[in-house]
Formats: sequence, C-alpha cells, structure tokens
Amino acid sequence: MSSEPLLRVENLKTQFFTETGTVRAVDGISFEVYEGEIVGLVGESGAGKSVASMSLLRLVESPGEIVGGTIEYKGETIFDLEEGPDGELREHPDMLSESEMRERIRGREIAVIFQDPMESLNPVFTVGGQLREFIEINRELPKDEAKAEAVRMLREVGIPDPEDRYEEYPHQFSGGMRQRVLIAMALACEPNLIIADEPTTALDVTVEGQILDLVDDLQDRYDTSFIWVTHDMGVVAEICDRVNVMYLGEVVEQAPVDELFYDTKHPYTSALLDSMPRPDRTVDELEPIEGVMPEAINPPSGCRFHPRCPDAREVCTRVHPENLEVDQAEGYPHRAACVKHDVFDVGYDESVPLEKGDEAETRVGETGSDENVDSTVEEGQASTDGGKANEANQTNRSPNRDGGESRP
Amino acid sequence: MGLLRYTIYRLLQAIPVLIGISIITFVLANLAPGDPVRLMLQGQQADEELIRTIEQRYGLDQPLHVRYWNYMTGLVQGDLGYSIHRRRPVSDLMLERAGPTLLLVLSAYLFAIVTAIPLGIIAAKRRNEPTDHISRIVALIGVSTPSFWIGIMLIIVFAVRLGVLPSAGLVYPWQPPEAAGHGSYLEHWTETIRHLILPMIALGTLQMATLMRVERTQMIESLQEEYVKLARAYGVPERTILRKHAFRSAQLPIITIIGLNLSTALGGAVLVETVFAINGIGRLFVEAIQQLDYQLIMGITMVLGFMFVVGVVITDISYAYIDPRVTYGERE
Repeated sequence: MSSEPLLRVENLKTQFFTETGTVRAVDGISFEVYEGEIVGLVGESGAGKSVASMSLLRLVESPGEIVGGTIEYKGETIFDLEEGPDGELREHPDMLSESEMRERIRGREIAVIFQDPMESLNPVFTVGGQLREFIEINRELPKDEAKAEAVRMLREVGIPDPEDRYEEYPHQFSGGMRQRVLIAMALACEPNLIIADEPTTALDVTVEGQILDLVDDLQDRYDTSFIWVTHDMGVVAEICDRVNVMYLGEVVEQAPVDELFYDTKHPYTSALLDSMPRPDRTVDELEPIEGVMPEAINPPSGCRFHPRCPDAREVCTRVHPENLEVDQAEGYPHRAACVKHDVFDVGYDESVPLEKGDEAETRVGETGSDENVDSTVEEGQASTDGGKANEANQTNRSPNRDGGESRP
Repeated sequence: MGLLRYTIYRLLQAIPVLIGISIITFVLANLAPGDPVRLMLQGQQADEELIRTIEQRYGLDQPLHVRYWNYMTGLVQGDLGYSIHRRRPVSDLMLERAGPTLLLVLSAYLFAIVTAIPLGIIAAKRRNEPTDHISRIVALIGVSTPSFWIGIMLIIVFAVRLGVLPSAGLVYPWQPPEAAGHGSYLEHWTETIRHLILPMIALGTLQMATLMRVERTQMIESLQEEYVKLARAYGVPERTILRKHAFRSAQLPIITIIGLNLSTALGGAVLVETVFAINGIGRLFVEAIQQLDYQLIMGITMVLGFMFVVGVVITDISYAYIDPRVTYGERE
C-alpha cells in the first residue's frame, strides 16, 4: 500500500461511436493495481469490464475509442489526454506511441488471457509454435531457447507430455487444456500484470476449479499481478484480493474482498451477492436483480442503478454519486457510489422512497430528457400516473375479452 | 499411407461423374443437326453407296447405344477414338494441342493469384477506404466482362494502337529457339512471354476479380478472430498478423475457388484461344464441333471432365495440407 501502484487508472472513459449514438461503455472509472495482488473487475454482461481491460492495452477497436482519463503503468504513461492552450484535448507528450505500446507494453509488461479458449488459439498453427512466437517476440530469445522455454511453460501449467503436445494443433486440445496453454502464453512472456478476461467462463465447473488453483499457485511463485474480469462472485471470493464492482461503465464499489462480502456498501453489490446460486439455497430463495441493465447509450439519470435498486429514493433520480471513500479496511479505502452513505449528504434520509412498479415507468418517461433533472422528476411522476391508468385499463379489458369469446 | 489411399478413393468416386458426362455429351453431340459424312465430303457430289461405305467404316450405321458401348469399351482401354475428319487418333491430336492450352491456363492462374491475393489483403486492411472502393469497382468490371471482349480490347490497344505486343499465336518455350527463328534461348523466352501477356490477362481477369473479392471477405473475417486480437495483445507487429496469423486460415476458400474455377478457365480458354489464334485444345474443340467430329468432341469433353475431377481432388488434398483439422478420412 505504501509503495506506488503498478497500474493506476484514473477517470478512464472509452466510448463507441455508433450510428444510433455514443455508447459510453466505460464512463470514468478509477482503480489501482499494486504489485502481486489480484484485483477483480466484477459486473453483469455489458457493464464495460472487457472494454475497460482492452483499454488498458490501448486495443479498443473501431468504432470504439478512449476519450479521456489517465492510465499509468510503472511510471510510464499508457494513456493521458491534456487540455492544450486552445482548449482542445490532445495526447500528453509523455504518452507512449503505438509502436512503443507494441514493443514495450503488450505481452512484455501486460499480458492477457481471453475468455474463450476455443477461439483464442489459431487453428492452423501448432500450439507450441504459437507459444514460441510470443516468447520470441517478448523475451527476445533465439528460436531454440524460446522453444525450450515454451515446453517448460507447458509443463508448468500442467500439460502432460509437453514435448509431444508442443507439436499438436489446438483442435487436439480440450477446452481446459487450451486455457492452460493461454495461461502458459501469458506467464511465459514474464509480464508484471496479467489481465484475465473471464478466463473460466467458458469452462465447466470442475475445470474452472483446477484453473483457479493453477493460477493461485503460479501467482504465488511468479508474483505476477492480475486483473481478474468476471461476473462470478464465487470466483471473486476464491481468488481476488481487492474488488471493483462495475455497473454500466462505472465503478460503483471498491473494497478488499472480505470487506466487500461482509460489509457491502452498495445495493448493487448486495444484489449481485443475493443472486448468486449457492448449495445452501433453493431456487426460490435466489433473488435475481430486478430488470435488465439499461443500455449504456442512454443511461438513467442520477444514480444509474436506481431503476433496479431496492433502496432507491427520490434523490437517487437526481444525484449522480461519485465513487467516494465511505470506510477503511485493511489499509485500503472502501469506496462506494451510493448516496445513502453519510459522506454524500444530499438528503437521502429525508427523501421519499421510490416504489419499484413506479420506477419502471419513470425510466420510460425520462428517456431523451435527462439534461434537465427537475423536469425529469416531474415527468417521471406524471407518467407514473399514466402507468397506473394503463394497468387499470388492462385489468378491465381482459374480462371483457373473455366474455366476447364465450358469447357465441 | 493416408494420402495415397485418399487420392485413389476420391478418383474412384469420380467414375460415376465421368460416366454421366460421357452419356450427356454423346447424346448431345449426336442430336446436333447435320451429318458428319456429308460435312467431311465438303459438298462434293457423292452417291449413297459411298456414303454408306464411309458410315460402315466408322461404325456410324449402328444404333446409338451400340456406338456408345463401343466407344466406352475403347475408352476403358485407353483408346480415345479416331477423328473421322482428320483421320488421326484423338489422343495424338489432343497431345499436340495440350501444351499451348496448359501454358495459357496456368499463366492466367498465376497472373490471377499473384495480383488478387495482395489486392484482396490491401482491400481488407483498408476496408471502406478509397482503395477498397476502387478494388470493388475493378472486381465488378472484371467479373462482368467476357474474356473474349477483354481480349479484343487488349488487342486493339496494345497490338493495334500501341503496337507493343503481338496479337496472335504463341511461342512455345519447349521448342528449340531455331524452330521459331530465334537466335538464343533468352530471345526465344522473351518472345514467349510477350506473346503470352495479352491472352493471359484476357483469361485471368475473371479469376483475378473473383479471387480478390473472396480474399478480401476472408481476410476481413479472419482479422476479427479472437486469435488475431490475442496476437495484437502480445505485441505481434501488424504486418506479421496480416501475413501469417490472419492469412493462412483465410486461404482455404481461395483454394476451393481455384479448384472449382478450373472448368471455367478451360471454357474461357476456348474463346481466348480463338481470339488470339492460339492452337490449343480450345480451338480444336471449336473446330471439332463445327465439323461434327463426334470422336474428337467426346475425347476432349472426357479429358476436360477428368481434369475437373482431378482439380477437385487436388483442392481437397491441399485443404488437408493447410488446415490441420481436416484429415484424409481417417480416424486418429
């Protein structure tokens, strides 16, 4: 904690410019990764986790673009925009060039493990050849040494007969074995940080367990830091040291893992934990989060989670909470972006609770008018009434229709 | 050995195809209007007796199915028949003419592949930029313009107007230079290439345009694969990604198209040989049809059909060479 972080991300924004509008996939997230720790990036599908992790390597594909924020790695500037004298944003002079990124950062300093081991290996080259190529590029070893290293790494990640398997093609490997190969690729380049983008999602549970054990073991020995992207709170509990919970492109809670589980500060995190299937709970006891995550193209006003939040009050539709420090644990701050905490002081306690049924209508009403916060609330309430009227209409109509059908 | 067994197996599978081709061609050729004997006599007065004798001599007086049977029994023994018009064995005639046609078709393919693959890759890399649009227009023109018309235009521009390239005939590189009146091999082969350029472009443009579009589509697809993203994330330079990582898996459809288009190319050769006055199989075929030379028509069709089948088999074999997931029908 005392030392400088390995990676520092501040207010990172990545947007996709599509025909239907700008998608704010990552909207101002900040977090740090210290040496030797595993940091979780958790959230539902579409929360912006993968885009955030690809932004760290500056590999966001068109029409996506990093539009703001700072990424610093070991004192080097991966990304930084600064305002020039003319008010235009421009790249900071210290920012690494594309070729410096390729030659110094990608693979060599920060490696990745992708989600789908079935698609991540090239089907027309041997597994060993692909591994060797990355080692050659990132460690500047001659061919034969790189090959020896590749075989050693295959053995290291638990692939039996690595000399023979080296010559085989990806289709001759099972999913779990392929994921081991991808882990070998990441470790073989001897990076200081590995971004693991849902590396166990495509695997079945027993294999997932093996892979997690393997990573845990290798992480101890190589002391590599990890950013572990996942939607699975179970995996988080098992492997992460600290966690960032993402919702709609924002980090809504940030805490060491035990603290996050035992002293949850954000309703979204609680909802995620409650929706987790566990052996000691039946399906009926599971509490799925209401609704689906809204599109990042037109996020709800105020707190983005308020339409689905059980604790939402009127003030939540107006105030957009920053991710502020609400507590301290294990020497790390516990941050949460929820106005119910005292540090926000925006009058949550006095505010009127929102009822869930009403909330759904509020969201419909406010689309397209979120610039003016005050009118949003009014409109929301207005349409709440409309919604109720609609509901009444429907209940009236159905018996009529039944009657109509039975008449002849 | 897997490869040999596979090849034999695939060639055996081709037998029904070849029988089908032979029946259709045989019936069609014989149903065509006209009488080969009268055509052979070229309008000379001839009594019925003479015509009957000639018909008997070539077996033309027998019913169709007997003639077909006779032809097929000969074919199985490697006898392609005897041209009644030219009074020479069909196999001799074809061997004589095979060289120029092979030279033409192969060079057209070479031209198509050498140009189409880089252009397709560039178009994929600069997708929806001006380069891509230009290549799209060129491809559209190439696909929709008949080869004989391209040939005629090339002759008008390069042979007639500019006078830089010859418009007719070929110089055969396998002949000694003296036979063509050239002093040295260098001069001889230079002439070969000069004669080959225009017909090669005329025949190869269609193939080039098709291959270019397929190459573009495949490369675009392949550049979006996860393994390409992975390679980028590991600092592999973009040109290595283009030349190696994305390239290899994108070539499978290209091979299919080359194999299947072999028949189109041979068909095109008929027209291009006529336009450029090249004495190849294509021209022989046109003459055979004009003269209703049944045996020659059959012979050429059967050989072309066989070559098509061989093309498909070669395609399948190269597939397995490039894509390790494809095996020669054997379990590991």
